[in-house]
Amino acid sequence: MSHLLATLLGYGQSGWPDFAAAAALALLAIALGIAQERAQAAAGAAARAGLRRRAFARLLAAGPADHRPAGERAALVVDRVEALDGYFARWLPAAALAAAGPLLIAIVVAFEDPLSGLILFVAGALVPVGMALTGIGAALASRRQFDALQHLSGRFLDRMRGLPQLVLFRRQEAEAQALGAAADELRRRTMKVLRVAFLSGLTLEVIAAAVLGCLAWRHGNMLVGGHPDPQAALFCLLMVPGFFAPLRAFSAAYHERMAAQGAAAALAPLLQEPAAGETGLQLAEIPPSVVVTFEHVSLTYDPARGPALADLSFRVTPGEALVLAGPSGSGKSSVLRLLMGFQRPDAGRLALNGRDATTLRPEELRRLTAYVGQKAHLFRDTIRENIRLARPEATAPEVEAAARAAQVADFAAALPQGLDTLVGEGGFGLSGGQAQRVAIARAFLRNAPLVLLDEPTVHLDPGTEVQVLDSLRRLCAGRTAIIATHSPALRARFNRVLELEQGRAVTSRMAGE
Amino acid sequence: MIAMLHDLLRVLGLWRARRGWLLAGALIAMLAALAGVALLALAGRGVSEGLRHGALTGVAVGSLLLLRPLILVRPAARYLERLVTHAATFRALADTRIWFFRRLAERLPSGLGMRRAGDLLGRLVSDVEALDGLYLRALVPGAAALAVVLALAVLLGFAGPALAAVVALPLALALLLPPLLAPGAARAAAEVAEAQGRLRTAAVDPLLGLEDTLAANAEGRAAARLDAAGQDLARTQASLARRAAWSGASGTLLTQAALLGALGYGLAGGPGAAAGAVMGLFLALAAGEVLSGLPRAGTALAAAGAGAHRLFEAADTPPPVTEPAQPAALPTGHAIRAEDLRFAWAGDRAPVFEGLSFELPEGGRLALLGPSGAGKSTLAALLLKLAAPQGGCITLGGVDIAELSADAVRSRIACLTQDARLFDDSIAANLRIAAPDADDAALWQALERAGVADVVRALPEGLQTQCGEGGARFSGGQGRRLALARALLSPARVLILDEPASGLDAQAERTFLETLESATEGRSVILITHRLLGVERPTRILRLVGGRAMPAMG
Repeated sequence: MSHLLATLLGYGQSGWPDFAAAAALALLAIALGIAQERAQAAAGAAARAGLRRRAFARLLAAGPADHRPAGERAALVVDRVEALDGYFARWLPAAALAAAGPLLIAIVVAFEDPLSGLILFVAGALVPVGMALTGIGAALASRRQFDALQHLSGRFLDRMRGLPQLVLFRRQEAEAQALGAAADELRRRTMKVLRVAFLSGLTLEVIAAAVLGCLAWRHGNMLVGGHPDPQAALFCLLMVPGFFAPLRAFSAAYHERMAAQGAAAALAPLLQEPAAGETGLQLAEIPPSVVVTFEHVSLTYDPARGPALADLSFRVTPGEALVLAGPSGSGKSSVLRLLMGFQRPDAGRLALNGRDATTLRPEELRRLTAYVGQKAHLFRDTIRENIRLARPEATAPEVEAAARAAQVADFAAALPQGLDTLVGEGGFGLSGGQAQRVAIARAFLRNAPLVLLDEPTVHLDPGTEVQVLDSLRRLCAGRTAIIATHSPALRARFNRVLELEQGRAVTSRMAGE
Repeated sequence: MIAMLHDLLRVLGLWRARRGWLLAGALIAMLAALAGVALLALAGRGVSEGLRHGALTGVAVGSLLLLRPLILVRPAARYLERLVTHAATFRALADTRIWFFRRLAERLPSGLGMRRAGDLLGRLVSDVEALDGLYLRALVPGAAALAVVLALAVLLGFAGPALAAVVALPLALALLLPPLLAPGAARAAAEVAEAQGRLRTAAVDPLLGLEDTLAANAEGRAAARLDAAGQDLARTQASLARRAAWSGASGTLLTQAALLGALGYGLAGGPGAAAGAVMGLFLALAAGEVLSGLPRAGTALAAAGAGAHRLFEAADTPPPVTEPAQPAALPTGHAIRAEDLRFAWAGDRAPVFEGLSFELPEGGRLALLGPSGAGKSTLAALLLKLAAPQGGCITLGGVDIAELSADAVRSRIACLTQDARLFDDSIAANLRIAAPDADDAALWQALERAGVADVVRALPEGLQTQCGEGGARFSGGQGRRLALARALLSPARVLILDEPASGLDAQAERTFLETLESATEGRSVILITHRLLGVERPTRILRLVGGRAMPAMG
């Protein structure tokens, strides 16, 4: 093009063939640009998927012991992993291009005019220095930005799930303000990141402008004395945008890299810590029956709040159902949590069929059990699929049998689509007692040797409770069962009761004692 | 296309409060772009003058001297532009997020229904974020490009209309590309937005029901769903990126065409046209920088349109009960009277109430009995205006609640719902949801009445103890009593207690119900329960049977 330009100005000889060549080169550059973008989009997708898979597996393995709000944990595997895109897709290629491209151009320019080449060399060397200076602050600011996003996500999800509470107490406007403060914090932190990024862009532009100025000055001065090669002068000037283009991309990518580093900061501990689920033994097969033994078991969640379980010992054999009683907070649920592998005992021994249960992987422990938690969660799906969760390979008749056993079929018959009626997240559309029965149906379908039930009859009216208790007795027959409850009706129906108080066994009695 | 335009205009309407910032940003962007044009126009003039005369003439020197301040003006203006436009955008996005939450609170007062919390979170985070493209990548570059193209056409128009045509026409076309390309990219952008929503739902859902997921050994299934959603997202993103790459290429093509146009003009016109051609070349270079990214604005517009669509789709859920146009004044009394209520949750569901009537005088204590599913909680929903009866009416202090605003009704009637959730905040903050101005003494009194003060006192951090999400750091019974304390703290004159003692041990249940009268301090109480222990001393007992209320004995 400089050739053409020089011709226009009367210094050279060129014409339409050169024009055609310039047009062809322009087309080639465009085609290469498209190819580069497509390659970049493909890069990193696989790497991100792998990271997401591992981080999510760790989150699940950590289980309920991870007290961070669900929204925050979800932001880890969604937003943070997506933010790594910039690293894989742009930083790696841009870094390579930034090193090679400008160097090549500077060398070519130096052939035309050594001093111009030197100016470009110096400018090129200055760019990384400027970026490094701004980059140090960028990584820190970007980490804070992601923390703010995570906080906003956690808060919003938590509040959305309890939205009726806020509305009924007329606090929705106050919460909107609080969310606004969280959103504002995110804005402030994002701007901090960007201010630094823009500053490095500014540095780059000033350097580019200085280079342009220097070159114009040099060639202008040469022109006064009659330039030996005006075409070279034009060439040097026209190469400047090409020289800075990869550096510009490099600078942008550098900041994406810094953002990725900020995003990765919170992912790293999650990926580094050895997951409890990846160590431990696996079961060759599910034993047909399980003997549960607690020997001097202690558990403390928070030393400041005292032990949840202290020196607890008991034994439950197949065919037996142990009812855990005692005031709320006395440690009933903690017993079940230990058996589910959600927690590990601090002291004592917890054995299944005589073998230390903590040597098993937690998920293996759970293969032995049917569990109904205190706040059983229904997913937004049909009633049928919510029951089937417990055993996805179950046949339709098996699911229906479980629904009948848990008295789900009774109320489902009155629903427009029966078992195929859609329920909302957390059981929306069902009454508390109905949702509870769907959770119990899961335990029936599960068909496991160990049955763990936490307040299974809460929210049930006395009539339904009697029916459900009858089927629970059938569920527990021949199995090992531990049931935490306050219900006098339930206690009356099972023969062994262990009374807990502040994590200790107070009395243990058989029915009729 | 029309729908997208409509959604995007509505977004701009939401941002009206920030119009000062937004306009300032666009203005600075135009100035920065014009500074770039001026820089290269002067450089072009200097070079062409200089080269033509073989030496630096007065005009050339003047042009080069003018360059020096401009060289600094341009980067500074660019820096300022980026700061202001981004500050404006993020203010607007924060506003949008608050607006979205307000709308959800207004439209989903009784819970999320069939919507997923994770999906709504995705809309709040990702879809709002996609809106930034509307301003940052479409409107601002569009305004800058428009200024540049106009300036270019005027400057080159002096040199020759033909030159102006060959240089400015391709650039003007680049200006038109975003609105032309956006509809084509709309589907790909909508797919990306949907896939993003699915990915977040796939991550959030198993975490919400974590215990149940683990208990069912469903980790593998959850991970597979997340993986599939991630792959879906990558696939749709790739397809949108391909479109963006082609748009980008067409932008480059047009700016290169402008460059070549200037050169071709010079070649064809001979020495006489050289000065104009050099000028055109430099101006095309300046415009190229501003315009080459513009066609990508088409994909940005499409992405913003998709985000706006998802946002409004959720925000426009019809409210369960429409507010009266002219709400009546809140009556002084708070006696409740229900007459001949008829209600079903949906057309295809069995009716819950068929002619329900009852009365609750001020200070009365009504026990409402019935099996699960008889409509006890539904009645609470009707009283709180979370649903409206299809027939009959409810009056509060003699005024039909249909004529009162929901907020006014809820200032009189507080409720402990069956699924009352504790938030991930301190005990004090959770309690103060019911009474923001309550002092610590009032909090302790409420805790005392709910029978949970001893538990809180034993905690090292007392009232400042964090509850965890859904009260996860407390046992079920303790959490329930904290929620009860919150309801008791409310200053409302009518209290609905939906199974207040569920999850409590027998002793605690009996103790609370014995003290119900003093704990509620002469307020009207509706006690919803499966059975009475005989210690509640209600003034009235009703049993819900067959959609009607029957007087009953304890």
